[in-house]
Amino acid sequence: MKRLISSAALGLAAALTLTACGGASTGTTGGSGGGEGDSADKLVVWNWGASDDAAAAFQEDVVKNFNETHPDVEVEIVSQPFDQYYTLLGSAIEAGTGPDVALFNGGTQLKSRADSLIPVTDELSDIKGDLAGWPAFEADGETYSAPMFLQGFPIYFNKAIFTAAGLDPENPPKTWEELGAACDAIESGTEVDCFALGNKEGLGIEFFLSGLGSGIFTAEEYDAWIDGERDWTSEHARQALTMWAESSANGWYNDGANSTAMFNDSFDLFSGGKAAMVIGLSSGIAHWKQFDEFLGDDLGFMMPVTTNEGTTLALPIEGGIGYGVLNEDKKDMAVDWIKATVERDAQADYALAGGQIVSNTTVELDTDITSAQEIIAELPGSKPLLHTALSGDTLDLLHRLGQQLLVGEVTVDDAVAQLQASEE
Amino acid sequence: MTALLGSRPDVPTDVRPGAASAKRRPRRRFTLERAAPLVLVFPAIAILLVFRVYPLALGVNFSFTGDQELNGVFIGLDNYVTLFTDVRFHAAARNVIVVLLFVPLEVLVAGILATFIFLKVPGHRFYRSVYFLPVVLSPIIIGAIFNIVLAANGPLNDVNKALGLPVIDWLGQSNSALPSVLGVHIWATFGMALVIFLAGFSTVDQELLDAARIDGASLGQTIWYVVIPELSQTIQFVFVTTTIGMLTGIFGLLYTMTAGGPGAASYLPEFLIWKLNGEAKPALASAASVVLLLLILVIGLLQIRVLRRATKEV
Repeated sequence: MKRLISSAALGLAAALTLTACGGASTGTTGGSGGGEGDSADKLVVWNWGASDDAAAAFQEDVVKNFNETHPDVEVEIVSQPFDQYYTLLGSAIEAGTGPDVALFNGGTQLKSRADSLIPVTDELSDIKGDLAGWPAFEADGETYSAPMFLQGFPIYFNKAIFTAAGLDPENPPKTWEELGAACDAIESGTEVDCFALGNKEGLGIEFFLSGLGSGIFTAEEYDAWIDGERDWTSEHARQALTMWAESSANGWYNDGANSTAMFNDSFDLFSGGKAAMVIGLSSGIAHWKQFDEFLGDDLGFMMPVTTNEGTTLALPIEGGIGYGVLNEDKKDMAVDWIKATVERDAQADYALAGGQIVSNTTVELDTDITSAQEIIAELPGSKPLLHTALSGDTLDLLHRLGQQLLVGEVTVDDAVAQLQASEE
Repeated sequence: MTALLGSRPDVPTDVRPGAASAKRRPRRRFTLERAAPLVLVFPAIAILLVFRVYPLALGVNFSFTGDQELNGVFIGLDNYVTLFTDVRFHAAARNVIVVLLFVPLEVLVAGILATFIFLKVPGHRFYRSVYFLPVVLSPIIIGAIFNIVLAANGPLNDVNKALGLPVIDWLGQSNSALPSVLGVHIWATFGMALVIFLAGFSTVDQELLDAARIDGASLGQTIWYVVIPELSQTIQFVFVTTTIGMLTGIFGLLYTMTAGGPGAASYLPEFLIWKLNGEAKPALASAASVVLLLLILVIGLLQIRVLRRATKEV
């Protein structure tokens, strides 16, 4: 019997060995990427792949642009699945086999990894004036990348459903009370839900917070939040969480929001006319062009609603994605790669074909999709997203609390206390 | 074996003629015969050492170092302290207990169905294949299927509605998310336990069964006093492998069905390890891995001890 126990124990130990050694590697220091692309005539680029033909065409344009300045350099693009992108990238950097340049989401994702990246502040200073959305790629006074596209959280609505519910589609709600009344009218007058929401990943609350934040926080509070002075116990932060919980209690969302994937089940609900509104994106996916394909002229765009007096409504949008430099030895090449990604012609083509609000402000979006033009018209007064200013830990906590608030498993007071503790 | 051979007086030892050798005990010389077993087990041991034990030691060592700016710096037990204050770790630890409660359920389901097949109920061959079928499906596919089945407006809730039962967002509420995933895991994996049970049944001594019958034992008595003690080692094996499977093999389902949510309600240590690594904290993830390793070792050994008594192994 002893032998059985010891052999079982050995088997257990063996079975768990691989788990235990996950990510084990010592001796590498942050920022020493480039193990894969050591030869001087090769640039290894990581991204999460081209989602459609337009994205693939844009990628080809970028490579072409880059090869005009570096004709002899081979660009090796490695597409990783987005789900595991940061896990894989983190492991590769740890193991010293990271790429020369890698695609990052602006804000938290880039800032929390700034210590593995090479600053390129001076190298990009000459294109600073042409692009919008820089703050999401800056940390501690250094610039780590140039924004390729602007990512924001515009609110889209379905004009046909508004009409069916007896609402004026040309005059969407402007205040929190009007939004509540509109939702009541939609819930009682139609078969569809007021908002489409997918909160399986916990992302719903960040869309809610950033999407409606400028109507909740005063301009001073908003700017302080972005600058890192956040007080979750403040009246307005608490109010934002309360609004989130109450919107669910009031039945604004589709059934089972916590078990619905945001990408793309919840957006499919909106495209399919099963929900009147959705807080969507401005670039990449779940944007004006994608919704236009399904809803056509019924697609409307609205600004955040005013919740509190003394607030200044602003379109929440900032630099969405951009390439960061991981290999010091290939910094010059990497900077040229970054510049190739924001080149005017390539961006103009992709903006139209792929549905992007691009960062290059000299590009004019030549489309008759009204909501796109309305979004662009709001760019001058826009503000960065509230949630991307949060640390990775706080954001993860916010995701979890967002799920619990939605089904009433945690009180707003509890959530406030946990978030405040996480900030400290 | 070498010790046995060495102590036998009748085995001639290779002693050189000389004065010194007569005085001291004959030294065991390294002969081909003695080396053979070592040579034969060497590849297995070497593979174990190089690919299992060495990485394990690296992993444990790594868990004592820091992340990000402290990468590679020895920080003692700091990672473990961080871990023990993390609410997600608390949730994962609590959920291990929930998982343990589901282990007997899976063993029971597999055991009862295996007994029916062993007793050759009509259609037993058909059922044997049907029960095993989910085992060959990928957890991702199973997760995707049950995402639809368990959806708030999915077929299961339609049945509930038709029967007048409450509609539940199975995967979207804290109290039902993990049990739902575990239920699906049992459905998906009990076929393997069932096959092991069937193999165990084939070793039950027919003479004992006959003797029990002659002594007038009832079916219940036969199972309790003959079959279960005879299957003791099989039951232990199924228990331990099922536990390991539940603690380390449920990631695919968690990932597709709940992603750990809502909140941290369906976090398991394995999911937490993956999550921490994704947050650019691989050393902290290693610490969590070490804790998981110890946890499973302790649970496994305890299980064997308890089961040895419970199944009256002689």
